Amino acid sequence: MMTESTFPLLSALVFLPLAGAVALPFIKDDRTIRLFSLIIGLMETAMALPLLRYQPGVPGFQFVEQIPWVPEWGLTYFLGVDGISLLMILLTVGLLPLCVLCSWNYIGKRIREFHFMLLLMTSACIGVFASLDFVLFYLFWEAMLVPMYLLIAVWGGPRRKYASIKFFLYTLAGSTMLLVAIVAFFNSAGTFSIPELMTREYPFGFQFWAFLAMALAFAVKCPMFPFHTWLPAAHVEAPTAGSVLLASVLLKMGTYGFLRFCIPLTPDAALYFAPLMIGLSIASIIYGGLVALGQQDMKKLIAYSSVGHMGFVTLGIFMFNLRGVEGALLQMLNHGITTGALFMLVGAVYERSHSREIADNMGLGKFLPAYMFFFGLFSLSSLGFPGTNSFVGEVLVLVGAFQSNVIIGALAIPGAMLAAAYMLRLLQKLAWGKPESGSRCTDLSIREWAYLAPLAALVLYIGLAPTRTLSIINPSITDLLETFRSKTAITASIDPAGPHPVPSTLAVNRQEVLK
Amino acid sequence: MIGTDFLHPAVWFIAMAAILPLLPGDRWRRLLPVPAVLAILSVLSVKSGTYGEIHYLGQTLTLGRVDTLATVFAHVFAIQALIGFIYSMHLTDKAQHVAASLYVAGGFGCVFAGDYLTLFMFWELMSVASTFLIWLNRRKDSTAAGFRYFMFHTLGGLFLLGGMLIRYKVVGTFAFTPTGPDMARWYDYLILLGFCVNAALVPLHAWLPDAYPRATITGAVFMSAFTTKTAVYVLARGFSGFEVLAVGGTIMAVYGVCYACIENNARRILSYHIVSQVGYMVAGIGIATPLTMNGACAHAYAHIIYKGLLFMTTGAVLYAAGTARLNELGGLVRRLPWVFVLYMVAAVSISGMPLFSGFVSKTMVIAGAAEAHRTWLALGLELASVGTFLSVGLKLPYFAFYAKPDDMTRSLTPVPGNMYVAMGIGAFLCFFIGVYPQFLYAMLPFEAHYVPYTAWHVLQISILLGFTGYGFYLMVQRLKPEPGFNMDFEFFYIMFGRLFLRLCRYPFALVDTWWSAVYRTGGLRGLLAWAKGSSVFDRVVIDGVVDGTAGRVRSLGHAAAGTQTGRLQTYITGAVLLFLAATGLVATLMLLN
Repeated sequence: MMTESTFPLLSALVFLPLAGAVALPFIKDDRTIRLFSLIIGLMETAMALPLLRYQPGVPGFQFVEQIPWVPEWGLTYFLGVDGISLLMILLTVGLLPLCVLCSWNYIGKRIREFHFMLLLMTSACIGVFASLDFVLFYLFWEAMLVPMYLLIAVWGGPRRKYASIKFFLYTLAGSTMLLVAIVAFFNSAGTFSIPELMTREYPFGFQFWAFLAMALAFAVKCPMFPFHTWLPAAHVEAPTAGSVLLASVLLKMGTYGFLRFCIPLTPDAALYFAPLMIGLSIASIIYGGLVALGQQDMKKLIAYSSVGHMGFVTLGIFMFNLRGVEGALLQMLNHGITTGALFMLVGAVYERSHSREIADNMGLGKFLPAYMFFFGLFSLSSLGFPGTNSFVGEVLVLVGAFQSNVIIGALAIPGAMLAAAYMLRLLQKLAWGKPESGSRCTDLSIREWAYLAPLAALVLYIGLAPTRTLSIINPSITDLLETFRSKTAITASIDPAGPHPVPSTLAVNRQEVLK
Repeated sequence: MIGTDFLHPAVWFIAMAAILPLLPGDRWRRLLPVPAVLAILSVLSVKSGTYGEIHYLGQTLTLGRVDTLATVFAHVFAIQALIGFIYSMHLTDKAQHVAASLYVAGGFGCVFAGDYLTLFMFWELMSVASTFLIWLNRRKDSTAAGFRYFMFHTLGGLFLLGGMLIRYKVVGTFAFTPTGPDMARWYDYLILLGFCVNAALVPLHAWLPDAYPRATITGAVFMSAFTTKTAVYVLARGFSGFEVLAVGGTIMAVYGVCYACIENNARRILSYHIVSQVGYMVAGIGIATPLTMNGACAHAYAHIIYKGLLFMTTGAVLYAAGTARLNELGGLVRRLPWVFVLYMVAAVSISGMPLFSGFVSKTMVIAGAAEAHRTWLALGLELASVGTFLSVGLKLPYFAFYAKPDDMTRSLTPVPGNMYVAMGIGAFLCFFIGVYPQFLYAMLPFEAHYVPYTAWHVLQISILLGFTGYGFYLMVQRLKPEPGFNMDFEFFYIMFGRLFLRLCRYPFALVDTWWSAVYRTGGLRGLLAWAKGSSVFDRVVIDGVVDGTAGRVRSLGHAAAGTQTGRLQTYITGAVLLFLAATGLVATLMLLN
C-alpha cells in the first residue's frame, strides 16, 4: 500500500543539496561558501522534520512519489520511505550541517569544490535510501562514488591517490554485479519497480545467482570480511567530512541493500546462504576487533572498529528474527552517530596536533577536558556501554543471536569484549598517556561544541529512551520478516485421490506442489 | 515531582545546587534562603494524596506520598532548612552550600517517598552530600572522619538495598508500607538494620560522635537535623511496634547521656545527645501507642529546632574562639552574652523545662510509655532527662561560659549577624512551641489527647531538674572536663575492620597477584600478539591479494601496451599471423566435426 504525498518532500530533500551545489559557482568568497553550505544543510534538516510524521503502523511505503521516467523501458521516478529507510535518511540529512561545521577550518584549498562534493554526496545518499525503482537506485548508488573519490583524491592525506582509486574500483567492481542482477530481475519480472518485484516469487536457481551478485556489491560496501581492506585506506586518507560521510552513511548502504533487496527479493537464497553470511559476520566482528587492537593510527583503529560494528549489523540481519533485525537497523543508526562523532573528534585533534598517531596525542585529558568528555562518551557508546545508544542495538542483536543459536551468540561475545579492549585502550592513552602532548592545545571552541553536542544528546536519548525510535522501525521489520517467512515456508498440497506415497515430505525452503 | 497541587520541595534545593556553581560575583548568597521559603510554602499548601508517579523500566516510582506523618516532618525540615541557610549565609564556599542543598533535597525526597526505590535514591543522596559536609571542613581529622562516616553509611545503605531487593523478590512490590512486627521476615530486619544505622541505634551509633564534631560549623547544623530524623520518619512509617526499637531506644537514651556527661568537646557532647534524644523517638515508635507515636513525631519536631539551635550556638563559640573543647574555653559570657542566652534557651528546651518546646514534646513520650505500662522504659527515659540537663543544661554552659575568668589574650572572631538572626529564629520557635503547643499538636498524625501543662507534669519536671541542679552544684569539681578520648563502640568496628583487611591482604591479595600475573602474561600479551598478527595478515595477505591483483592487471596492461610499437610492419605481421591462426583453428574444428 502506498501513501501518496501532496508535497514532494523526498524529491525536495534529494534536489535541494543539488540546487545548492549548482548555486555554488556563483559565490566568490570562501567564508560565504561555507555559510551557504551550512544554511543549505540546516534548511535540509528542517525540511526533513515533516518526515517524523511518518506513521509506523501503516503498512507499505509513505511519502511516495511516482512519475513515469522512461515508459518504454519501464523506468519510473519512484521515491518512498518505510521504517527501514526513514532513519537512514534522517541520519544523512542531520549529518550534512555537522560535516560542514567540522570542515570549517580543516579544508584549506578549493573550498567551493569541496562543498560542491559534499552537497552532491548528500543528494545521492538520500536518493539511494529513498528510491523504489531499481535503476534509479543504481543511478544514485553509482552517483555517490565520484564525489567520494574526489573528496579523498583532492583533499586527502599523503596516500590519497592509492586510497581513492582503491575505494572507487573496489566498490565499482562490486556494483557491476548489482547491475547484472538488476537486469536479470527485469528479464524475469518485467519491471524495475521494487515494491512490485517484492510481490513476486522467483525460482531457487535464479535466486541463488541473484543473491550472490547483489550480496557481493553489498558485502564490499558494508564492508564484510574479507572485502574490507578498502575501508582503512579510504578512512585514513580521507578528510574529516569525507570520513564521517563514509562511515556514517556509505557503509549503511550495504546493509540497507541486504535488508531492502536480498531478504525480500531472494529469501530462499538468503536462507540458504545464511550460514556463510553469519560466518563472515562473526569473522568481521572478531577480525575487525583484533586488528583494531593492534593499530597505532587513530583513524585506522576506528576504521577497523567500523568493520567490527558492521559485522554485528549483518549478523543481526541474517538471524531473521525480530530482535536481530531490529538490533541491526538500530545499530546502523547508532554506528552512524557514534563513529561519525569519533571521526569528527579525531579531526578536531588533528587540527591541533597535525598527527593521527596515538603516540603524538597522549595525555590530552588534563588540558582538553571538554574534548575528553565527548571522546569518553562516544568511546563508551562505541564499545556498547549500557545507557548509550549502541548498547540497545548490540543487546538486541545478541538477543536475536542467542534466540537463533546459542553458539552464534557465544561467538559474537568476544567481539564485544574486543571492542571494549581497543576503545578503552585508545581512551586511556589519549586521556592519561605519557608523555603528555596537549599543553599547547586549546579546548573545544563553540563551533566544535555545536557539532558534537547534538550527537551526544542523541547518544544518550536513544540509549536511555529508545522506545520511540524502535516504534518507528518495528512495524516495517515485522512486515519484512512475515513476508520472508511466508515465502520460505514449507507448503505442500497433496491430491487426496492420487496414489502417492504417504507422507510426502518436502525439502526445506522449497515450495512444491505435488500433483 | 509536579502534581496538580504539590511542588516537591526537593526540586528547589536541587535547582539551587545546580545553578549555584554558575552564578558569578558575590550576591548569590542572597539566594540561599529562597528554596527554603518556597519549601515552607509548598508544605503549608499541600493536601494529602499521592503525587508524582513515574513509570520507568517497569516500576512505578512514587515521588510524592503526602499524608500527615510526612507533612509534620517536612514542615520542620523546611523550617530548619531556612534557619540553616540563614545561618550559613556568611560562607563564600559554594561547595558547602551545594552539598547542604543536595542534603536537604535528599531529606525531603526520603520523607515524601512512596516506594523503596525512591527512598533509596534519596537516602544515598543524603549520604553522599553529608559526607561532603564533613570533608569540606578541610582538616586532616575531618577527612579521615568523613571516610569513616561514608563507609559506615554506605554499609547501612547496602543493608537497606539488600533487604529491599530480597523483599521485592518475595513480596513482589517496592511499595513503602508499614511492616507488622509479627509479619517481619529476615529481609525486613535487614531493612530495619539499614534504617537503624542512620538512626544511630546503639551499637550502630559510633559514627555520629565521630563525624559530627569534625564537620563544618554550618554543616553540623544541617546534619543534626536531617539524617537522624529522616531515619526516625522511615522507622515511624515502616516499623512501628517493633519491641527491639522500644528497648533499643531506651538504651540509646541512657547510653547517650552517660557518654555526654564525660565528654570534653562541646559538639561531641551534643552528638551524644542526638543519640539520646533520638532514643526517645525510637522508643516511642517501638512502643507504638498513638500517644507515643505522636510523642515521637512531636519530639522530632521540637528536637530539630532546639538541637539545631544548640549546634548553632556552639558553632558560634567555635567560630569565635576557634575551639569547642571545654577545657580550653571558659569565661566567655561577658564577650558573647547573646550566644550564651540563646544557648540557654536551647539547653532548657532540651532538658524539658516548662515554657519551652522540650517540655511539651519529650514528656509526651514518657507519659505514653507509662500509660502503656512499660515501667522500665519510662523510668529509663526519665533518667535520661537527668543526664541531659546535667550535661547540656549545666555542665556545657558552665564550663564554656563561666568556670574560669575570661582569658583576655584570646581574641574572638566577631560572630556574623546572620548567625544571630538564625539563632534568634530558633530560640523564638523553641519558646513559641513551648507556650503554644497547639501549633505543634495540630500537625500530629495520630489521635491522642495530651495536656502538657498539668500540675503533676510541672511538679515532676521541676523536682527532676531542681535536684539535678543541686547535684551539679555539689559535684561541679568532679565534673571538670579533661581532654582525652573516650573509646566507644568504634572499638568493635575497628576490630572488624582490621580482621577484614587481614583477610583481604593475605589470602585474597595473594590469589589476586598470581591471577594478575597470569592475565598480564598470557591473556594480555597473547591478545596483543594476536592483534598484531591479524594486522600483519590484513596488510600482507588480504591486501596482498587485492593490491596484487591490481598490480597484476596493471602489468598485464603494460605488457599489452608493449605491443603498441607504432610500426606498420609489426601490425601487418601480427594481422597476418592472426589470420593464419584463425583459419587453422576453424579448419581443425571443421575437420574434427
